[in-house]
Amino acid sequence: GLVQSCGHIIPESPVLALGSNFTALCILNESCLDFGNIYANQIIWKIKNKVVPKEQYREINRTVSSVTFNDTSSLATPLTCNVLADGQIEQNIYGIAVTIGLPPEKPKNLSCIVHQISKLTYHMTCTWKPGRHTFLDTHFRLKYRWPRESFPDCIPKDTNNSCTISDVQFFVNLEVWVEAANALGKAESDRLVFDPIEIVKPLPPHNLSVNSGILPTVLKLSWENWISAAVMELKFNIRYRIITDTNWIQVPPEDTASPRTSFSVQGLRPYTKYVFSIRCMKEDGVGYWSNWSEEKVGVTTED
Amino acid sequence: LGAGQSIQKTYDLTRYLEHQLRTLAGTYLNYLGPPFNEPDFTPPRLARAERVPGATVDLELWRGLTDNARLAANYRAYSRLLCYLRALDGQAGTAELRHRLGHFCSSLQGLVLSIAGVMSSLGYPLPAGPTAAPGSPGAANDFLKKMDEFWLLKELQTWLWRSAKDFNRLKKKVPPAVVTLRLEARGF
Repeated sequence: GLVQSCGHIIPESPVLALGSNFTALCILNESCLDFGNIYANQIIWKIKNKVVPKEQYREINRTVSSVTFNDTSSLATPLTCNVLADGQIEQNIYGIAVTIGLPPEKPKNLSCIVHQISKLTYHMTCTWKPGRHTFLDTHFRLKYRWPRESFPDCIPKDTNNSCTISDVQFFVNLEVWVEAANALGKAESDRLVFDPIEIVKPLPPHNLSVNSGILPTVLKLSWENWISAAVMELKFNIRYRIITDTNWIQVPPEDTASPRTSFSVQGLRPYTKYVFSIRCMKEDGVGYWSNWSEEKVGVTTED
Repeated sequence: LGAGQSIQKTYDLTRYLEHQLRTLAGTYLNYLGPPFNEPDFTPPRLARAERVPGATVDLELWRGLTDNARLAANYRAYSRLLCYLRALDGQAGTAELRHRLGHFCSSLQGLVLSIAGVMSSLGYPLPAGPTAAPGSPGAANDFLKKMDEFWLLKELQTWLWRSAKDFNRLKKKVPPAVVTLRLEARGF
């Protein structure tokens, strides 16, 4: 057989958009022409082992043959350039891998939420819709910056539709967007501009305690808040039920719509066991409610 | 952002920084160790410490500051304090302390940007000239180095306390709507 390579194909390993057209060139080495009596008009193009129809070929000159595909959907790997050596034996000259896919779509529905993790730690998680499958290695980056200061991109781990930023700064407007990129192009989501303080989901109040007082129809709740007033003032929802009941009753929200660490629930039945739970959010209603706190039981005194 | 909203956010950020620094300074002084972490430790302020911009100011002088001068003083101070603080955040003992110092530096950088935002929303130019901290000879020994860091944290706490008052004062003088109208009247 022919030891030295007698030609090559360009482009070498193309990434092509699905549905586009594509032309490849097979270029024979001059040295092989003399030796093997091989010319461009003897070239046979194949996809896998299937011969490409001759109408798609064109002889550019003695050493160069091209093949054109109007729609890359019919293409597959490998695409090979072959010749009938010595008139009969088909000999492979060169082959390339062809990758077909789609450029990334514009990521959509970008939204972010700041989760309070501990007293001083907040993580911001942004999610988005990545768009159609591209059949290609597509990388997503969450980009964010202040008007005159950029931050390192957030690179999603094991997913393509969310990223979590662990160093969140409050009280400065942040511009956030997503960039998707693959071999066929780049796309950017719309940009969000917000102050992270406006999208906080706080930790629920903790150390909830329930104490009976003098009146048999009143129980006093006390708790601690994880968030300092310097970060945000809170408002609360309090719900309770008789321990044997499944329906929750909620204290009128307007009664607990201001910062506090205790509240007396009135109008209860004497000598009855109640379950209480509480949640909180930013006082001005901007952001998200926390989860409900752990439940705590209290008993009203006898009448 | 309108000027009023910008000032409110800057005020909130100042209060937030005060809150962060309260716990951070305690942790850092514990890292420096005695006598720096003793409550009644008030060392003399050596000439070296004068490099750090001083927040203390005569009350009448402070009251008489124009809005522009008030903001410019804040902008210059935090730009320099940030440089000194960044010099700390790479060396501090534990990873947790370094992380919190790094977070605080970012917040302080946010404050510098916010002050710049307020100044531009009020039509004031940023202070000319270098805002970075001047190069300074290293401390002769470890004690003096810790003394520098002690005074840096103390000054920073005082500045934040003063700035909260500065922005609170500005908030009252610059209700959101008025400024926008005044700017439009001047064809901005």
